[in-house]
Formats: sequence, structure tokens, C-alpha cells
Amino acid sequence: MKKWKQKPEVLAPAGTLEKLKTAIHYGADAVYIGGNAYGLRSRAGNFTYEEMQEGVTFAKEHGAHVYVAANMVAHEGDLQGAGDFFRTIRDIGVHAVIVSDPALIEICLMEAPGLPIHLSTQSSATNYETLNFWKEEGLERVVLAREVSMDEIKEIRNHTDVEIEAFIHGAMCISYSGRCTLSNHMSARDANRGGCSQSCRWKYDLFEMDHNGMRQSFAVNETDEPFSMSAVDMSMIHHIPDFIENGVDSLKIEGRMKSIHYVSTVANVYSEAVNAYCKDLANFTFQQSWEDELWKVAQRELSTGFYYGTPKEQQQLFGKRRKIPVYKFIGQVLDYNDSSQIATVQQRNSFAIGDEVEFYGPGFTHVYQKITQMWNEEGKPIERAAHPMMKVRIQMEAPVKPLDMMRKAR
Amino acid sequence: MIELIATAESINQARLLIDADVDTLYIGEATFGLRLPANFSPEEIKEICHIAHAEHKNVCVAMNAIIHNDRIKLIPRYLDFLQEAGVDYVTIGDPGVIHLLNKYEVPIPYVYDPHTLVTSAKQVNFWAKRGAKGAVLARELTYEELISISQHADVPVEVLVYGATCIHHSKRPLVTNYFSYTNEKSKNQEHLFISEPKKPKTHYSIYEDLNGTHIFDTNDINLLPHLEKLVNAGISKWKLDGIYTRGQAFVEVVKQFVQAKQALLDKDWSEELKEKLNEKVQEHHPSERTLGEGFFLKNPNDVQ
Repeated sequence: MKKWKQKPEVLAPAGTLEKLKTAIHYGADAVYIGGNAYGLRSRAGNFTYEEMQEGVTFAKEHGAHVYVAANMVAHEGDLQGAGDFFRTIRDIGVHAVIVSDPALIEICLMEAPGLPIHLSTQSSATNYETLNFWKEEGLERVVLAREVSMDEIKEIRNHTDVEIEAFIHGAMCISYSGRCTLSNHMSARDANRGGCSQSCRWKYDLFEMDHNGMRQSFAVNETDEPFSMSAVDMSMIHHIPDFIENGVDSLKIEGRMKSIHYVSTVANVYSEAVNAYCKDLANFTFQQSWEDELWKVAQRELSTGFYYGTPKEQQQLFGKRRKIPVYKFIGQVLDYNDSSQIATVQQRNSFAIGDEVEFYGPGFTHVYQKITQMWNEEGKPIERAAHPMMKVRIQMEAPVKPLDMMRKAR
Repeated sequence: MIELIATAESINQARLLIDADVDTLYIGEATFGLRLPANFSPEEIKEICHIAHAEHKNVCVAMNAIIHNDRIKLIPRYLDFLQEAGVDYVTIGDPGVIHLLNKYEVPIPYVYDPHTLVTSAKQVNFWAKRGAKGAVLARELTYEELISISQHADVPVEVLVYGATCIHHSKRPLVTNYFSYTNEKSKNQEHLFISEPKKPKTHYSIYEDLNGTHIFDTNDINLLPHLEKLVNAGISKWKLDGIYTRGQAFVEVVKQFVQAKQALLDKDWSEELKEKLNEKVQEHHPSERTLGEGFFLKNPNDVQ
């Protein structure tokens, strides 16, 4: 009989304090955030020390972990103050720091002992001896390169006992992470210091050129597909048992820039799948509703990356994009009154009487209904909730809970 | 002491490069090394070591690939072979290879070379403490940064003084995937380029091999006009890469750098000589390719 050794954590991105709380509320066992320095998402919401403290306190109350990404590749001058940074976040109670630059690793080891270090995927760890190297350096965990296959994970697990983290969902670099400076050269933005301009997703002309400089393009007509290197996104929802059986310790979701709608949905789905498998693996069956749910927040096609073979052209964005059924996040439940069956909702996007809407909450609960009656804060009936952040009361057909999310198809 | 390091594409070219007085030949095979002009068999590597050592020159073998499990298993035997062949040093980009080198106490010196990732002296020194005898710096560094790194690094650092510079490495077969989508027949991939949207004059070389897809900057590097600055900064490892400059043309380019190095060491360097040698470099550089100084003259704050 198959038996899982250890239940892995579901690790969700959290660009802001609100997203951190949302992710944990929706089942994430751990979240990763950015500090004000040394991270790779200079444009993502990053945390001040005060926000970090609040996030860590909240996480501890809910038995969750907080990791801080400090995964930039530092240049001369960038390293000043790094020791203080690591000491401060250690003393705040952050559970680990995610680093790729060995200079930062050394500073952290020397100046903030006791703060566990995870090797970032930016370092492209692709074999077990690399994991053994970093283990001996004192690292607690290695985030694998996205180029590693499931068979390779299995072999890596058999040859090392350092913790393994692997990506299960989200956008992907088309390159080995860290080994692409298209952005530096084409946009004067440093890809390895948080400035990546995603030049890989542009449309290029591919051509042959002889020694006389004569060029012959492959896409000549306007209808010809230009060359591009845009990867579709990853979703491993069909393969969660593979990760658990192969001893992966942490299942990582990409997307610190993404919304609370995305974070809540994806964390909810994956924690539901992991719980279902670990609770009763003998009777575990894949639920189509999990995949359907992920498509509601998908921005691109979904694929399995390198896990089951080298990605072919279907895993790149060529040609006309298939229309993905995108859902709009329209509100968050603030309160629910059992006796009147009325929910108070904070509006996030407009909706109206007659709209088919969906409420969802932690533990994969769903309520689908048509909006029949609603009122504004003064209790006046309204046809339309048009004002951003307005509070709306909605007549419910089934109970909902505070912090449940509300959405509708576009 | 300045070390001129040049790639070799054949045993014959290796001889010519030694005759031209390079200090180190840089060779290897794609199973272990990245973006080499040619794949050399173990026998050929042995022969090149023999030829080089007879003239008191060095051989460096590239082991700077991103190594997956299947190839990490081959590393111990390859290290044994390199030791037996008498290879002078290797480049390594994957810490797993360093782990094995140290574990088996293989007495081959290594230079750390992880393509884009070495951008500070502190990082160079991290690897120096773990046995590295040098480090290859990222190509995205400015002169101002090079000075600071060279000053603070405990081991010599290497810069590219001539040749194509890789700016993207994917494990995916990006050219094959594109041709599969467009149903083109497979093409001769030696002369493939891409150009940026709205910049039709750009020409980034692109090719595939068993390590995936590699893209090179639109300009090849030529630091001949700036060698004096490298000397002043104490940067002593100068690499010339012939992946896109083949045959005799590359040997001729290398000769200009050898002459420049000697003149700099002899304090015979002059504007006239610099101009003359630089013109020769341009003359032998492939006509369809353009030259530039990359990030060398940029301000560190220009790219953030």
C-alpha cells in the first residue's frame, strides 16, 4: 500500500499584509513575502518591518510560517546593511529567508545565526550533489530549479535529506532562472535585481544571416507567427500525489504580484487537494472542480513544465490565445446574519441585481446564486453596487462567512 | 601577470593559438561545458594538453554546465580523466561539481563560472574560501564595478575581452519549438539571429545544443581599446571567445590581443598602436557581426 511519509506544506505568495492573511485564511501552511531590500520583486508590494511583525504574529496565531525572499544577485554596494536586515527579520520571528546570492548567504550565516536559509530557485539547483553542497553549508532547504523532472526529484530525494521545495503553480521563466539578462541588455533593467521587463514574452523576428549581412526572415507575411519565448503557466493540480510520494517538503505557488482573488483561490485548491490525499490516500480521487476553480483565476494556458518531459511548442504562447474563462473578483464578505440570511459585502468590482455570482471560502466551500435583492448601508434597496469599496447587503440563499470571496464570470 | 585565455575549435587551431602565444586554451565538450566552439573527445583533450604543455601553455576545460542528475554521475570519472590528462584547471558553474571535487580531493584547480551570477567581490571570496582559484565575472558589470570587485577579490577575476556574450540560457529547445509550431523544416542553425521588436537592425545570435537554447547579445565584445583600464584595475584574466569568429580569423584577432598585452607589460602602449591593433580586430571580425564594449562604459546606475 502506498504511504506518504510527510504531509508537505502549501506555500503561497503574499505581496501585502492583506494577501498574507488571505493566503493563510485560505489554507496556506506558509507564505513568502518580500522585505524592503534584497528581493527580486522591486515592483511587488514589499513589507516594512512593522508589517512583517504583524504578518509573523498573525501567522503564528494560525500555525503558519513566514519566509522572506531576499533572492537578488547583489552588486558591489548592494550588500551594505544586509547583516542588520537579516538580524532584524530573524528577531521579528520570520521562519526562514530565501536567498540565492552566496554573498548574502554568507552574511546571513555569519551575522544572523539561527535564521534558517532556503536556497532560491534563482540558483538553478538541478542535481543532488548541489543539494548536498548547500546542506553542508548550513542551508535548511533548497528550492529546485523549474527544469527538474519528477523522476529527477525522486532521485534527488533518495540522495539527500535537505528539505526540498518545488513549484506547483504559476508563471515561469522560459530560461533557467537567473541565467537570463535579456532585460538588462534590452531594457536597462536588471533581471537579477528585481527589474525584469519580461523581454522573453516579446515578439521577435527570427532570421538567417550570411556573411554579407543578407537576412532571410522566417516570418515574412503579416499572418506569419513571429518568434517568441513566452512560457505558458504551470499547474500541477493533477499530480499532487507525485510530489507527496517523492518526499517534496514544500509545494510552492508563484505570484507575489497577484491579487487576493488569485491567492485565495489557488491556496484553497491546493490545500484542499493535499488534505484530501493525506487524509485518505487509498480513496483519493482527483476532483475536476479543483481544476475548474484554478481556471477561474488563470491568466494563461496551464501546463506541467519540465516535470514529465521537455516542454514542446504547446507549452509556449504561440498563435491566437484561447479565451480563458476569466472571473472577476467583485467583493469580500464582511459579515453574515443567520436569522435574516443577509450578507454584508465590501464591493471590489461592480455587480447588479440579476447577476449570477459565486461565493467561496476556505475549505473549498461554494455558494452559487443569482442576486435578487440588495441594499446600501443606509438600508435603501439598490439595483447596482457601483462604488468601489462600498458596503452592500445581499439577500443570501445559503449561509456564507466573513472573509468569503465573491466573484462572477466576465 | 596577465593570462590570455582563448577558446579552440580544433587541434590545428589550438596549435596556431599556441604559436600566437596565448597563455591558456579553453576547450571541452557540451556534456560538461557551455557554449564551446567545438566538442573535443577525451583523446583530443589529451593531445591538446600534450601540445600546450610542450610550449609551457595551459589548458582549461569547461565544466560550467548546469548539471542534472544524469550528468552528475559522470563527473567523478571525467575528473579522473582530466587529472590523468594533466589539465591545468577547469571552470565550474554548478556547486554540485565543486562538492564532488572537494569530496574526492581532486587536485585540479577550478575557476568559478556561473554565467550571469558573479557580480560582487564578496561572492568571489565566498568561492575562493571553497577552493576557487578565480572567478569569471558576469558580463553585465560596468568598469566602475570591475575596479571595486578586482580590488576586493581574494583571487583573480576573469572578463571577456573579445567575443560573443551569452544573455539567455533556456533548457527548452526554443528554436525547434518555434519551427514545430510554424511547420518549417529544420534549418541550419549556425547563422540564426533574432531581432527586437521595432529594432530591425539588432541581431542576437541564437542556437540550440544539448544544454538547451543560447542567445547572445547583438554586439560581440571588443575591449581592445580599453585594455589599459583592465591593467589599471588589476584584472588579469582576459578571455577571447571564438564561438562566432572561426578559423584563422579568430587566430588573427587573438594575435592583436597578444601584441597589446605585451606592449602593455613592456610599457610600450600608445594610442597609435591601440588604433592599429583595434583596426586589425575589426578587419578580422566577421563582417555581419557588430562589436561593442557591452556594459563596460555604462554607469552602474544606468541598469537597475
